[in-house]
Amino acid sequence: MARYGMALDYKNCINCKACEVACKEENGVLLGADKHRIWVGVNELEGEWPNIALSSSVFMPSQCQHCDNAPCQEVCPTNATYYDENHVVRVDVDKCILCSYCVEACPYGARYEDPRTVTMDKCTFCSDTRLARGETTTACQNTCPTKVRTFGDLDDPNSEISQLLRNREHFSLKANLGTKPKLFYLM
Amino acid sequence: MMQKEISRRRFLQGSVALTVIGSSAMCKTDFIYPKEKQKSRIPESITTKTTTQKAEEIPFLCGICVNKCAGFARVEDGVVTKLNPNPYFPKSRNMLCARGNAGIQTTYDPDRLKYPLIRIGKRGDGKYKRVSWEEAYNAILHGTDKFKGLIQILEEEKDNRSTIAYCNGEGLSKEGFEVLMGEEIGTVNYVDEVSICLETTLGGYFATIGTYGEADLSNADYLIIAGANRAEAIITPDTMDLFKRSKGRGLKTIVLDPRFTNTAAKADRWYAVNPGTDLAFVLALTYVALSEELYDKAFIEKYGVGFEEYKNHIISHKYTPEWAENITSIPAKEIIKTSREFMSAQSPIYYQGRRSVFSKNDFQLRRAMAIFQGLSGNLNKKGGIIYGEPLKLPEEEINTPIYNQAQGRFDKHNIAILSQRAGSWMVFRDMVVEKKSPYPVRAMFMRKHNPIAGVPNSAKTIQFLKQMDLNVMIDILPSDSMMFADVVLPEASYLERTSPVASYGLLEPAIVQRKAAIKPLYETKTPEQIYKELAEVLSKPLFEISKKYDNELQEEIKNRGEKNVYKEDGYILSDAWEKDVEERNRERVVKAFGEDAWKILEEKGVYYPNIEKYHKQINANEYQYYPENKKKYSVDTEDIKLVFNFKHLATKGVDPMPTWKDEYIFSVPEGKFRLITGRHAQFTQSATTNNMMLRDLIDTNYLWINRRVADKKGIKFGDMLEVKSKVGKVTIKAYPTEKIAPSQVFMVHGFGGLSQDMTMAYGNGANDATLLEDIHEPVYGAAVMNETNVEIRKV
Repeated sequence: MARYGMALDYKNCINCKACEVACKEENGVLLGADKHRIWVGVNELEGEWPNIALSSSVFMPSQCQHCDNAPCQEVCPTNATYYDENHVVRVDVDKCILCSYCVEACPYGARYEDPRTVTMDKCTFCSDTRLARGETTTACQNTCPTKVRTFGDLDDPNSEISQLLRNREHFSLKANLGTKPKLFYLM
Repeated sequence: MMQKEISRRRFLQGSVALTVIGSSAMCKTDFIYPKEKQKSRIPESITTKTTTQKAEEIPFLCGICVNKCAGFARVEDGVVTKLNPNPYFPKSRNMLCARGNAGIQTTYDPDRLKYPLIRIGKRGDGKYKRVSWEEAYNAILHGTDKFKGLIQILEEEKDNRSTIAYCNGEGLSKEGFEVLMGEEIGTVNYVDEVSICLETTLGGYFATIGTYGEADLSNADYLIIAGANRAEAIITPDTMDLFKRSKGRGLKTIVLDPRFTNTAAKADRWYAVNPGTDLAFVLALTYVALSEELYDKAFIEKYGVGFEEYKNHIISHKYTPEWAENITSIPAKEIIKTSREFMSAQSPIYYQGRRSVFSKNDFQLRRAMAIFQGLSGNLNKKGGIIYGEPLKLPEEEINTPIYNQAQGRFDKHNIAILSQRAGSWMVFRDMVVEKKSPYPVRAMFMRKHNPIAGVPNSAKTIQFLKQMDLNVMIDILPSDSMMFADVVLPEASYLERTSPVASYGLLEPAIVQRKAAIKPLYETKTPEQIYKELAEVLSKPLFEISKKYDNELQEEIKNRGEKNVYKEDGYILSDAWEKDVEERNRERVVKAFGEDAWKILEEKGVYYPNIEKYHKQINANEYQYYPENKKKYSVDTEDIKLVFNFKHLATKGVDPMPTWKDEYIFSVPEGKFRLITGRHAQFTQSATTNNMMLRDLIDTNYLWINRRVADKKGIKFGDMLEVKSKVGKVTIKAYPTEKIAPSQVFMVHGFGGLSQDMTMAYGNGANDATLLEDIHEPVYGAAVMNETNVEIRKV
């Protein structure tokens, strides 16, 4: 039993997409730009060459926020979306009816369709691959060249992520929506 | 003059150092897998979800680019399902980039070369016949009705081995190919990637400070990084170290690049320098440092050569910030500020860079950069440019023949310094095509190299290949250049082969070994096995030719008997690969570091003395490789020097001190654009454009064009453009953006594949080499990539 979350030192991100590929290879995600569990958001640049605002160029690595108060879970009519024992937001492929309510409800765009399993799939924090084998990192964390991510148990005060969140300022995406994301962006 | 070279070559020959030796029979996987699991399988889907079953974790060394990151391949039931980073290797520090992760897709690429092939159609039309390895080797020797074989060519050239040329891209098995072609078969004509890459950088740094060194970006506090795009052209550990500390976190970062790159996005200041004018910028930085006396006087006193002359040179030429502003477009006050900040920083680094040659003055630029670094005194110390101490592996002796009929190198037309090993691709090609070579070059052996995409002016490269009587290609995928081969030998990918051990790193050095994760798929073979078998087939028939034309050999045979000469004088060309790679690796590592070192290397893929004591996990992401007091920050070496005035260069017609010349000013005529080219974090040149996973991230290359210019011309995103230079034309989609200057256009290198057999890459995007004019710089003849103007038209 844990409450898994992830801290992202997002200023390290160089938009190299190692995390996207590692995720697809580890979790057998289908090819296709619309089929991804993980992505890097890029802002529109401000200014004209050569006066581009450096502050406007930000890379925001992102994925399912594993909200404690997940809108996708709330709207799911068949309870296919559920919180597992580690508070990871998961999808039961047998129950999903592809109604797409979760896609509409998710403020982060974290859902995509997997036509093989006929499921509105999403990031699992590698629960059924790496974590199931006893590993302690997700594929995206492990491969990252600039070490953006730290994954761990938010309920364990001694975990690295808990220490990071105690010692570093951080923010969550769309915090005003009350979704209580478990992804934390370190300042 | 040629005669002299031949005799010098003879003198050098006899026994040469060999650090690469072949593999054949058995991979280590034979011992790991239970017998029934030995067979490699092709996975049923493109991406394979990893399971919770037990799997083998085989240490490998990534081969998808030149950098060399270490990893563990997860192998489930004969399939590589995942590549994970190796936390033991100090160079790659527990990471794999997007390409590294996607390496699986190279091994399982359905378009791979699977069987040996012989050409049955016309060169370039892609018509080949599947043959056995034996038939392929015999075709190299005897030819077919479509092409000539080596025997006929060498007979006609009277055993001048240099009529055969060869090329090879970077990699762990490259040296073995050099031994096969250069030492065993005996040609001097060799070209590789260095003359289309970083030759001037290496040359400039070695000539000035005695090393290329390593930039200690973990401890530096000020960085100027110019024309090196570490966010998109990943080099470890530089990329990781830099971006963990940029953006106000300890490493002040000044980026010079004509384009707004992902590296520029991470800068404290970005200067959109006028392409090819970095030299003026550095000379002006130097002017400020010298005129304001900001430099490290004690350091220069101790290591400097010709400082006063250089100081006079810079001051008397009036390389002032105001002068440089006109040339570089960087404001004088910014140049003054940067120079002062650099010189007053605790640990400043002007990053050496590692890139293609962009302009004709590149060698002088590197000299000027190295000198400016030296003026700060930040060499051979923590946070500076590190000399360090690499771990040494023992070299091996082999016996190779002397070919008296082999003639010397000729690729020195219009260049000052003939490099030691491989020559200038461009000068060599052009001299052959323009019939300026003193003897005909008639055969080209290529391995892991695609000159049609890599060397500027593809049309000339195609002409060069068409001119040959025999082209042989050893590769993994059917590249553009493969389409002009007569015999094609399919190679195992880097996940299917154990490679010769290698040593990397200066500050935190280590030995690393790539082990075969799976056995070679289809009928492919490891490079060393190919070298060995080809050498076996060639030995006797080529010896017969030498016997006919080589008087000295005839004399030797008369005195000592043919059998003895054949055996003792190295004519058994396969000698070098008698032992397989595994065995050679073991011998070399045990000899240098002992049995325990070998055990560690086998298990972890990495070894360095005291690894078990030193290597510690710091947190979930980071490791200590060496304790702070064991890192080779400062070493006692005679290499340390700072050569301001390199007088000897003048005898070669090269400026002994970096000097700006008016001819360096490049002008773009009205209505045209300067074409600049570069790399991308999701692709490694033309080698990865057929990789499904990477193509999934970026579908094609685009032509970057300034947004306001595009608006005026009515060009929108995705519009098809025709781009035309003096030497070629391509079509490519438009990407209007403010990330580029109004007078320039940019495209990522490596696209626009010609080979129909690479189904994803074929015809996708544009090949910059088709457009780039064949211009080379004057010192080594290295290809200049950014001095071509183009016109564009919406189609």
